[in-house]
This record gives sequence, structure tokens and C-alpha cells, in this order.
Amino acid sequence: MTTSTPQPTYVILGSGGHTAEMCRLTQALLQQTDIDQTKKYQPIRLILANSDSTSERQFRQALPLASQEAEFVKVPRSRNVGQSWLSSIFTSLWALLWSCYLVWRDRPQLILCNGPGTCVPFCYAAYLWRLLGRLPAHSRIVFVESFCRVETLSLSGRLLLPLADLFVVHWPALATRYADKKNLRYFGRIL
Amino acid sequence: MHLNTVYITVGTTKFDALISTVSSEPALKALQSRKCTRLVIQHGNSQPLTEDEIQLIGNNYGIRIEQYKFRPNTEDIKSADLIIGHAGAGTCMDILNNQKPGLIVINDTLMDNHQLELAKQLAAENYLYYCKVTDLDAQLATLNFDALKPYETKPENLSKFVSAINQLMSH
Repeated sequence: MTTSTPQPTYVILGSGGHTAEMCRLTQALLQQTDIDQTKKYQPIRLILANSDSTSERQFRQALPLASQEAEFVKVPRSRNVGQSWLSSIFTSLWALLWSCYLVWRDRPQLILCNGPGTCVPFCYAAYLWRLLGRLPAHSRIVFVESFCRVETLSLSGRLLLPLADLFVVHWPALATRYADKKNLRYFGRIL
Repeated sequence: MHLNTVYITVGTTKFDALISTVSSEPALKALQSRKCTRLVIQHGNSQPLTEDEIQLIGNNYGIRIEQYKFRPNTEDIKSADLIIGHAGAGTCMDILNNQKPGLIVINDTLMDNHQLELAKQLAAENYLYYCKVTDLDAQLATLNFDALKPYETKPENLSKFVSAINQLMSH
């Protein structure tokens, strides 16, 4: 067993706007005044779709220091924009297998994501491995809904609301609508 | 407010109606009356203007057109006095984060129109304007861009988010 190796934080990058938002959130997490808090989230492993040619550069630009120590991991995409539903079943399964393998191997203590399709299989894999005891019981899944979701949840959001430990929304309408969900939080404007 | 440089951006979408409306006579007249001399158009997958049209616009309205499909657009955003774009979250965020006057134009032909929610919400909070493509020329002539509020981030809220994660991870 590899209990002595530090368990990484998985930060899942999407594309364009998703990545820009994730850079801000990761930055906030890594630039706390309390250095010990910051260290808890190291090492950072950045997950991105293998078709994504811009997010790595975008992240490196936004967080040059953290990027030096971080590792970028490219994974297959669940579903490309415009892909048919039938073929996306197969690509989703393939992406899920990959996610299960990586999560099993790395045992991330925290998965931080904000809505790209890539994050869904990772969160399910983490949930599954935690149930089966491969991930520690204190590992956590944090989902930040897309900033552009004002009144309705995204597909990723609907899929992950039941299993995220913390589910963050950006607008009051969503907070009111899901007021009964204990894991759903609204902090006001954070971006 | 003088709108010397106006930046039109459609992201990765196909939004022919926006490009053709903004290069129509009433829109160009409105831009001219607002002292626009430079129009930068990121047309993405939409139909670009022809060389003849660009020439004509330069001659008739004194507006220089620069157009391109895709490129990193940080400079285009920073140099713009007005940003006109589709309702993509990226464009909305660019307008907010750079504290630029913005006009979001709604593309009725896009199926998944949830992004409209964001433009409407931001317009309700006075951070930008939004309109239908059919109203674009009229809006360009009359909107008061000085009345828009600059968007400010709230670091204290972001701290609350970070504290929540810290607490979640303290075991």
C-alpha cells in the first residue's frame, strides 16, 4: 500500500470559460495566508481532455508557480460537442474506465471541478472507490456549477448533485430552488 | 462616451446574423455617430465580410475593419471601447473582468439557450446590455453605455468558499 505517498488534489480543467474560472478557484485555494493550509492541497494534478489544446497553457499563464510542481494528465473525453448519443455511450464508458484507473492509482484526497463533461466520470469513480474503501473515507468531491447557470443546473451538475460533498452555485435563484439540499451552498459572488 | 474601437466576437459559434447586422447601413451609421473608427470582428465559424464590403465601409463611414476567425483575444478585449458578443459565458466574463461596456446579442437559432439566463441576470444587475439581433442597430444608436456599472469581484466571498473547503478537508 502507498499510504505514505501524499494524496493529490485533482483539479479538472474544462475548456475556455471553465478553465478561466477554475484557475481563479485554484489560485484562491493555493494562495491562502496560512501556508500550512495551502500545503494540504499539494501535490496538484490537473486533469484535462486529450483534445484540449489550450487549457494547459491557460493554467500555466494564470498560475506559473503552481504549474511548475503540478502534473498535467490528459484523459479521453466523455463526449465531444455535437457527438451522437449512441457513440457517446462508448466514449463515456471508455472515459469512465480511464477515470476509475487513475483514481484507483492516485487516490486523490480532493476532486475539484466545475462542470466540463470530463469531470463526471472522475467524480463517479471517486465516489465508487470511496465506497469500496480504496479511497480514504475523508476524501472529498467539490463541484462548482458553471457561472452561467442562473436558474437551472447543467447536465454535469444534475449528475453530480447527489454525490458531491460540496456543490457550489453562483446565483441566488438556484440556491433557493435547491434549498433542501444540504450539500448545495451559495457564497454570493465568488468569481 | 466615444466608442473608437468596437470589438465584435462570436466565439466558436456560427452567428451570421450578427455579422451581417453589424455591417448593415443603420448599424454602421450608429457606430459612425458614436465616433467609431475601428471595428474588429472575430467571426469564428460565421461568414466573414468580403474585401469589397470592407473597402466600401472604409470609404463610406471611415470605419476600418479588421477581421479574423480565431486568435488569442486579450489585446482585442483590452483595446475595445465596446464589446458586442453572443451570450457565451466566456464573452460575458471578458466584459465583466475587463470592466468594458458590453452588448450581448441573442442568437435565436442556437438550441441550448441557457446562456441567455446569464446575460439576462447580468443585464438585470446593470453590468451589460442585451438585445435581439433584430434590435441591434436601434440599440446601438440609443443605448447609454455610461449607465453601466463596473463589475467588481468580492474577495471576501471567495474566502468563504476557501474556508468551506478547508473545513471539509479538516479531518
